[in-house]
Amino acid sequence: MISGIGITKTFRQRGGVLGAREVPALRGVDFAIPKGGAVSFIGESGCGKTTLGRIIAGLETCDSGEIVIDDVAMSSLSHRRRQPYFRRVQLIHQDPYSALNPTRTIHQALAAPLALRAKQTGRPRSWTDERAGELLGLVGLDPGYVLPRYPHQLSGGMRQRVVIARALTVDPEVLVADEAVSMIDVSLRLGILALLKDLRERLGVSVLFITHDVATARYIGTDGELYVIYRGQVVERGPVETVISAPVHPYTQALLSAIPVLHGLESPGEQRVVPVEASGEHPDGCLFAPRCPFRTERCERERPALGRDGGTPQEHACFHPERRSVVALPVSRG
Amino acid sequence: MAPEQSPPGVRIRGLTVVYRTPAGELPAVSGVDLDLAPGTITGVVGESGSGKSTLALSLLNAVQPPGRIAAGSVEIDGLGDVVALGGEGLRRARGRHVGYVFQAAQNSLNPLKTVGKQVLDLGRSHGVEDPRGLLADARDLLGRMGLDGARVLDSYQHELSGGMRQRVGIMLALVLNARLVVLDEPTTALDMITQATILRIVREVHAERGLTTLVITHDLGVVAEVADRLAVMYGGRLAEQGPTREVLAGPRHPYTRGLLGAIPRLVGDIGEARALPGRPPTLAGVPADGCVFRERCPLRMDVCETGRPPVVVSGSRSAACHAVRDDEGDRPAVAAATGEDQA
Repeated sequence: MISGIGITKTFRQRGGVLGAREVPALRGVDFAIPKGGAVSFIGESGCGKTTLGRIIAGLETCDSGEIVIDDVAMSSLSHRRRQPYFRRVQLIHQDPYSALNPTRTIHQALAAPLALRAKQTGRPRSWTDERAGELLGLVGLDPGYVLPRYPHQLSGGMRQRVVIARALTVDPEVLVADEAVSMIDVSLRLGILALLKDLRERLGVSVLFITHDVATARYIGTDGELYVIYRGQVVERGPVETVISAPVHPYTQALLSAIPVLHGLESPGEQRVVPVEASGEHPDGCLFAPRCPFRTERCERERPALGRDGGTPQEHACFHPERRSVVALPVSRG
Repeated sequence: MAPEQSPPGVRIRGLTVVYRTPAGELPAVSGVDLDLAPGTITGVVGESGSGKSTLALSLLNAVQPPGRIAAGSVEIDGLGDVVALGGEGLRRARGRHVGYVFQAAQNSLNPLKTVGKQVLDLGRSHGVEDPRGLLADARDLLGRMGLDGARVLDSYQHELSGGMRQRVGIMLALVLNARLVVLDEPTTALDMITQATILRIVREVHAERGLTTLVITHDLGVVAEVADRLAVMYGGRLAEQGPTREVLAGPRHPYTRGLLGAIPRLVGDIGEARALPGRPPTLAGVPADGCVFRERCPLRMDVCETGRPPVVVSGSRSAACHAVRDDEGDRPAVAAATGEDQA
């Protein structure tokens, strides 16, 4: 079990005529990834979801807040002693083309981490080849075909499977998939998503899914939790199906409204929310207020915190939570 | 600002584009027939290697070596067959008649020049006599797309967000009053909300300026949102085409069905979404004979190995598949296997 409390991160941008600028990437985010569970972070680019994923994978540190792995606070450990904990979290990048060394065969890519693993667990060297084949089988690849090949000889979908197999070499507890299918051909995406779902079920590995596409989050697990992140703040959080079918935060509603409607098969939701185009923010107000079509004066003065005001089943950070039907519904066919 | 005459129609006939490879010349686009009716938005959907971008480049006769247009014609109203055009005539046509918004238009701007400078460069290369007027047009267009035109013209690309750059790309394609516009993957790398905004703008600008528009994308959702007609490409050939809503409501080609079935949706049983087996063909992997989709097709028959699928036309729809029966349409007609005489 991995959790985080009050994760905060600010980037300092240098240069430009105005000099240094502070960009808050995460503003006190709490999260929990249960063992074998599925958690999705949803939001636009720049919302901080990728930074959060990197912090969880130990590739980035937070300014304040605490990451807790199996009841151990990471800040209490030295960098060296932290490593074995973070090794349980493996990150899968969105770009399978740059994640693999082009000069190494798939066999080489898998053999190196497996040799290390063999040493750690006191297994013989010969185990690595056997395990490489096993892992490739697990991700749906034919080891005989894939092992001797170089990355450029494989399709994007196959490469992403290899990247997942490599992540599995260290027996991780959490796979962090950051936009893991956005560069994969449409007809192959679902195969990768199904694989992640399958690994959850078969290995009990948790999946942290980071995406801007809400529908794919649903595919990883309808039993999962959805976190909607806007400018570094979690604005809505709850079970996937609840947040999708009965969203109460206008930003979540805007995200769901923006998903293309398959006209002919679906009719658009009746209360689609289109955000106002605006920039800037109210220093103390709701972060989404400048773009929110439903903002009131209070929203410009105060910043709502995550909670269940209004008796909603999910948590939200909005002074005026209201269910709206924004999702397209299938047309009944005659 | 838009001229009075009607938007141009486009007739693509028997278009074949080949690329020279160590294994000989291989077709990226093979015998494609496609009409863009004046004033409509047509969406071409395909995965990587389907030939959709090559098809789009053919509209400008801009296929680069080692590729070349090996056969066929691209007839554009007011221009004639662009395959036969060359040199100065072709250069003028690009931009003036056909506006092109390139894939990743977000990254295709010159980082060293302001947007305004690039508009002036464009004007100069096309002999525009009134540069001020051109800048005013550019400003109006950007304003129409919800941007502060004057500010954007004074900006460098790094000062603009992805969605703003995409709008600049659309402005550059339209500012010389092209009436035929090609958008290649207009929304890849954009967020959902920005994508929705861009698609709305594409629809509105298309209607206001009286354009004929071609949208190339891998995303059926994008086509569903904007296009009047949908054409599905696979392995360099057209698998199916027809009015968007009709095709989505009742896809006939097994590939179209598979693509639709592979989209995870927000409601209903998520378990119904199914990945297509296999993977898209590469240039070298496209079978020379028979159906290009057969490796992944659930309806594969013996005839698919050898015979190129006939184009089964019914009304305003057509599908190229051995398994599509004539009785699936109300006015069946089977065109020759080469697709030469397809209506």
